[in-house]
Amino acid sequence: MPASPETPLLQARGLTKRFGSFAALSDVDFVLEPGEVRGLVGSNGAGKSTLVKILTGAHAPSKGQVFLRGTPLPAGAPLEMLEAGIACIYQHSSLVPSLPVLDNVFLGRQPTRRLGFIDRRTQRERAERLIAEHGIEVDLGALVGNLSTVKQKEVEILKALALNARIILMDEPTAWLSRSEVTKLHRTIRRLKSQDVGVLYISHVLDEVFQVCDSVMIMRDGRVVWNGLVSEIERQRLVDLMVGEKLGAASRAATHQERKPGGTGEVRLSCKDLTRRNLFTGVSFDLHAGEILCVAGLIGAKRSELVHSIFGSDRFDSGTLELNGAPIRIHAPGGAIASGLGLVPEDRHRDGLFLAHSVAENLSMVALNKVSRLGLLRRAEMNGAASRQIERLGIVPQDASRIVGRLSGGNQQKVMIGKWLEAEPKILILDEPTVGVDVGAKAEIYTILRRLRDQGTAVLVISSDIEEVMTLSDRIAVMVSGRILSIHDAGTITQDELVARIGGAA
Amino acid sequence: MRILIGNASLDPRRFLAAYALPIALVLVAASFAVAQPAFLSVGNLTGIVHRVTTTGIMAIGMTFVIMTGGIDLSVGPVMALSGLVAYFALQAPGLPTGAAVLAGLLAGMLVGAINGLAISFLRLPPIIVTLGMLSIVRGVALTLGGPELHQINGQPSYTFIGTGFLLGLPFSIWIFAAVALVMIFVQVKTTFSLQIATIGDNERAAYLSGRRVRLVKAMSYVLCSLTAAAAGIIESSQVYTASATFGEFGTELDVIAAVVLGGTSLLGGRGSVARTLVGVLFLGVVNNGLNILNVPIDVQLIVKGAIIVIALAFSERVAARNQT
Repeated sequence: MPASPETPLLQARGLTKRFGSFAALSDVDFVLEPGEVRGLVGSNGAGKSTLVKILTGAHAPSKGQVFLRGTPLPAGAPLEMLEAGIACIYQHSSLVPSLPVLDNVFLGRQPTRRLGFIDRRTQRERAERLIAEHGIEVDLGALVGNLSTVKQKEVEILKALALNARIILMDEPTAWLSRSEVTKLHRTIRRLKSQDVGVLYISHVLDEVFQVCDSVMIMRDGRVVWNGLVSEIERQRLVDLMVGEKLGAASRAATHQERKPGGTGEVRLSCKDLTRRNLFTGVSFDLHAGEILCVAGLIGAKRSELVHSIFGSDRFDSGTLELNGAPIRIHAPGGAIASGLGLVPEDRHRDGLFLAHSVAENLSMVALNKVSRLGLLRRAEMNGAASRQIERLGIVPQDASRIVGRLSGGNQQKVMIGKWLEAEPKILILDEPTVGVDVGAKAEIYTILRRLRDQGTAVLVISSDIEEVMTLSDRIAVMVSGRILSIHDAGTITQDELVARIGGAA
Repeated sequence: MRILIGNASLDPRRFLAAYALPIALVLVAASFAVAQPAFLSVGNLTGIVHRVTTTGIMAIGMTFVIMTGGIDLSVGPVMALSGLVAYFALQAPGLPTGAAVLAGLLAGMLVGAINGLAISFLRLPPIIVTLGMLSIVRGVALTLGGPELHQINGQPSYTFIGTGFLLGLPFSIWIFAAVALVMIFVQVKTTFSLQIATIGDNERAAYLSGRRVRLVKAMSYVLCSLTAAAAGIIESSQVYTASATFGEFGTELDVIAAVVLGGTSLLGGRGSVARTLVGVLFLGVVNNGLNILNVPIDVQLIVKGAIIVIALAFSERVAARNQT
């Protein structure tokens, strides 16, 4: 069928995907026009990933079909989808860090001369033409591993363009980017738009959807529940549609809570002049029982490095750490835990979870002594504790024997937090506790943290999400380039002031 | 059930995947029995278990090492070393047999401790450390015992270990059974084993959860060498001989093959002693059946290799499916 002006670039009709009796996707229709940036939002488990997998050919739909300019595309054929011009950029990089940009862009599809030798000249010429056409600034000779995260995303986009991609799917492309990097990425997306590329933009960060998308579709329970122009929907209405009315109300309630700067007034943890060469310098602050102290800052402000040093999984060069007024030396996480500290790390897959183990096993790994006697596991107690934690955190499905690798991202995050709740720490540090978590689960995590605070736990949260900092904190510490710039009682600083300070303004 | 299948549900495909090995074992045994009824005689069946005793005991220890994501290539020479140490201890006048056995076991544990320390605390790759140790321990054994065979004479309580009978069964089978039962219990019930498995799953997460990762990993190597030392003592007492050449090259491959056949991933994570034992029996039955059918040894080696590769391919596919 020839492409007429009415034929959409990409069209999905009646896409349905069943896994056994469970429908991950039911009857999904949508179109994507050239030069359109279409947002796709929904809670974890709403079916977004399944839809992406069908569009990339990783899954074949149980029913329905995908059309490119009116021509049906084969089902479940990854190579054909790529050749048809559908490329996908995932949350985690799929580049080879040890190779230069140029080789990454053409990886697996290098132009060759006779005998299979790579034609480096043609390769470079083609890359340079693409760079000029799309205005992407990147050094083709640089090793990908040395590039910033946002540059790596641009390399992935370049790679997609080198395949003549006309449609680019972006799955949480900004999860690991700082604010200014997000702006850069959005600039690149607008340029793609002007080149008539169609973009499907999946994100939990609703602000971004409103900033960069023309249209948006909202998915819930495998169905498209709303589809239209971004200008036609209010933010709160979008949240309600995403998570359902009830959770939407809960999330609204969670954002308006009384604040308790200084907590009970009892200083639990005191950092005095902590310094680690080339990372952070002269970091001093007090953390009180019964308060949530958020450390705000940009990615790269060395906040994770700081908390790992406090927790004993890394070291510091000078300074002292005081616990309840007494100096303490911590050499390993085991010692920190014995002293009543807990750390929920940033990257749940790399640092937090045992993906091949069950929910119950994951939940018991910190407080192992609570579910064992003399080195013998008590499975009954383990499962009992797990069931209580599943109930308390609202982990879905309510199955303690479920393998954690099979849970959705939000539920994995809850398991990782639950593992620490089991240990009942006096001081809980959380590093980016809601990255890649949907609005509903986010509100639930906030509620959990407030409950902990109200029980007298000292809570330290690292967050790059300004909204989260404004919502959650009793006090806010601003960290810039390895230094604590200032500490504020929440409520005495506006969001705009905070943004300015994080950016390094005096 | 849990021992064998962990979290498998009643989905028929998963059920089949979880029970593929025991089913294959029954099928192979049945076909040998049809081809040669003598296969099913009590004497032959006991013989199969008797022959896999040393490999089986070592495979139990190796399961824990492989669950951490490691490997131990040095088990063969440890067999030789422990037999020799026990032999020399037996020469000391007045020393009870138990003390000689203990000396042999301790020698093995020392090797394991060195492996464990180098791997855990110096963070050296297990394959390199234990490959080096394979050569070092063989060298130490040769230094200690020289190239000759040392007859173990007049030590009835020592040779009873490998040649005695209890309630109509070889005593070494009782030892094997006892080790197996104790270690199944350890693997299913202890925090040690759960820590081993979670370290194999995600070592950094285990460390950040406050687990003493290095100590636990080192202990897995001590345990593995301990089982190798026990196997060495059983072997030397079975043949009334200690020699630096026992546990020849290929021993470690048989042991690792049994573990992998039992479905423990070489990448670490989950594993099961009970399944390893089924793997041991499977290899033992195939070996025995091919012997009974007079299949020449060269063909047997090819068959064994093919089984290992096919089983590995199968188990990796199952693992990949379970990940998604």
